[in-house]
Amino acid sequence: MNILTAALILFAQDAKDVEKVKELQKKLHDVIEKVKPAFVFLGGGSSVCIDPDGWVITNHHVAGEQKNIQLHFAGGKAYTGDVVGWDPNGDLSLIKVKGGKDLPFCELGDSDGLKIGQPVIAVGNPFLLGNENWEPTVTHGIVSALHRYQDWYMDAIQTDAQINPGNSGGPLITMEGKVVGINGRIEVRRFNNRVNTGIGYAIPSNQIRRYLPHFKAGGKIRHGYLHGVTLGETGDTRYENVGEYGDGIFIAGIDEGSPVEKAKLREGDIITEIEGQRSYNLNRLHGIVGTWPPGSTLKFKGKRWNKETKAFDPLEGKVLLGDPEALASKDAVVGNLDFGFLPAFDYDDFGVEVDEVEQDGPAAKAGLKPGDVIKKVDAVRVKSWADMKAELSRKKAGQTVKLEVARDGKEMNVDLLLGERKADQ
Amino acid sequence: MIAAILAVLLVQGDDSTASFAKVLRAVKDKVAPCVVAIDVTRTADPDGKGASGGGNRDYYERPGGPTSGTVWTDDGYILTSWFNVSGDVKKIVVTMHDGKQYEAKRLGYDEAKDVALLKIEAKNLQALPKAKFDELKQGDFVAIIGRSPDREVVTLNQGILSALGRFKGSAVQTDAELNYGNVGGPLVTLKGELIGVTSHIKPQQPWGQSGGVGFATKTGEIDKIFEDLKKVKAGGVSGPVAKALWVGALFVDGGEGVMVQQVVANSPAEEAGFEEGDIVQEFDGKPVKTAEELAKLMAEKKAGDIVPFKVKRKVKDKDVIKTLKAKLEVSPN
Repeated sequence: MNILTAALILFAQDAKDVEKVKELQKKLHDVIEKVKPAFVFLGGGSSVCIDPDGWVITNHHVAGEQKNIQLHFAGGKAYTGDVVGWDPNGDLSLIKVKGGKDLPFCELGDSDGLKIGQPVIAVGNPFLLGNENWEPTVTHGIVSALHRYQDWYMDAIQTDAQINPGNSGGPLITMEGKVVGINGRIEVRRFNNRVNTGIGYAIPSNQIRRYLPHFKAGGKIRHGYLHGVTLGETGDTRYENVGEYGDGIFIAGIDEGSPVEKAKLREGDIITEIEGQRSYNLNRLHGIVGTWPPGSTLKFKGKRWNKETKAFDPLEGKVLLGDPEALASKDAVVGNLDFGFLPAFDYDDFGVEVDEVEQDGPAAKAGLKPGDVIKKVDAVRVKSWADMKAELSRKKAGQTVKLEVARDGKEMNVDLLLGERKADQ
Repeated sequence: MIAAILAVLLVQGDDSTASFAKVLRAVKDKVAPCVVAIDVTRTADPDGKGASGGGNRDYYERPGGPTSGTVWTDDGYILTSWFNVSGDVKKIVVTMHDGKQYEAKRLGYDEAKDVALLKIEAKNLQALPKAKFDELKQGDFVAIIGRSPDREVVTLNQGILSALGRFKGSAVQTDAELNYGNVGGPLVTLKGELIGVTSHIKPQQPWGQSGGVGFATKTGEIDKIFEDLKKVKAGGVSGPVAKALWVGALFVDGGEGVMVQQVVANSPAEEAGFEEGDIVQEFDGKPVKTAEELAKLMAEKKAGDIVPFKVKRKVKDKDVIKTLKAKLEVSPN
């Protein structure tokens, strides 16, 4: 019997109680000891090494696309690293430590295996408190909820382990010492004081694992989506036989030749499950498909209304995320319009970034350049390619649209004469 | 946090839930006699103002009612957070666990460590045994016991030791909820031993209260200054304390230089018009590239100096350059 046990017994009535608390305490000490060396201090935030060769994952809002970043492992050992792959929409950046070998690391766990109520710890550097001695902060809590849709955190783990400004990019860790999420977002108090309220969000490890080869390959990461389909939520009273709210999402319209059509889905079909996850509403659907890279083929289950039996028949199949053509040409097709540039496909809030400009095409003639960000189309704000596509789809070849464009921090106006797309384009 | 523990226990599928609760209750009962309520009557309270500067009553303003203190010796010395007893104080009343009340004298304080010493004319009080610091580990289960708002009943907040060395090693950090009621009370181990006196949650500090970032000034640090605190009969700092200068903005190394990550409410930086995301390019006419460089340049100044910061800010996707004049103050940390 050690001192702790003896002292506790003095006032806890039952030695059994003490033993149980001691077991918990030991688990917590063990996991902290195991994972702490893999924690990495990085600028105004946190990060974690997930591989002995020095792959370090953090939030995009912490590391961006920087090169030659100063990194300090817990305890203070300093390295430099470069961001290799970045994901502005998923808020992740992957860094390669220069000359990294046999580094302390903490491997990615299975975030789909998490249970609500499961204990977790967060390791981080809130308010940069650890910068004076390179000692990270450890906080302890539970998994409060799973699959939260919070803007661009489309499939977030919610935790009450206290995370605060500076924790961003740091790991959420199970009692087995596996990284199950990257903490990056909190619900905050009033008056703009950014302090935790018991609600923190982490990006799940399974999303990270699926994108890891893309991150390592380098460049910007894009997210999966169901292309060429109009979706509704079941229970929509404007439609018949589309079930109750929460059953799933239904197909309200299908574009010709889309992956959804190729998946043999029809208008009215209800998708209830994708890759074993219930797609109970539109946000959840985006949360599922958005955590897979475009080009992934996912299994779905659903049901189809049978007019004769007046009941649903079961349905299952596979569907490709993204548009196969667009995957090659970066999804730049709007009807028969020729606008002469390829958008950098993403869902972010900053407009439509021009990725490539076709030589002598309409965009080139209008003076658009790669890197330009289109903010408005005929005075209508476009937050994404999807928005812009919606605007352009109202136009006809031969029309001129007025674009408001940001270039190098300056706003400018561009008149884009829409052409007609040739069959082979 | 208690929920977290209960969850751990449930996952284990045994009656550990009850075990943990029993141990915590025993800690609470053991520590309660050593925790006092402190009522302060003031004529002015600059430290207690919240984000609005006192214009409107808000979450960050010091609320009415008692706060907490820790019995330090059996002959009437009480320790608390300096924040609890700062301001122009008319009267301090200490209420013991048995309801006895004493008028207290405010003796010395140490602003950097956020502790203050009170004296009441009482004998045979119960003081807590002290934890041995080198036996503590990051992740230890800990509890904070307070005596507010009800002077007759203690509060119990449970968490873990988040870090052992904060503020140049003078404090430990905990995720047990610390707020304006229980601050000044003891942070204890599950053996009921005193780790430190809870501290450092002034409204001007970026973590504020109950955000899961709380502190306790270590008993060993208090031991070092205790004789000095006793000697100061009518307030005053317990000795010269070297403190950093600040403006109330959190400067970090960002992509293009020194970025403002956070602006503390009611600080000189807020007054000067700093915004989160600003990139500091120059300090007092000298270019700065890293947060460390900026800290060095700031250290060459003295409190009260008003210094220009040249910052770059994105306004509607355009970069604008602004010069913000901020007054340097002694850091509250």
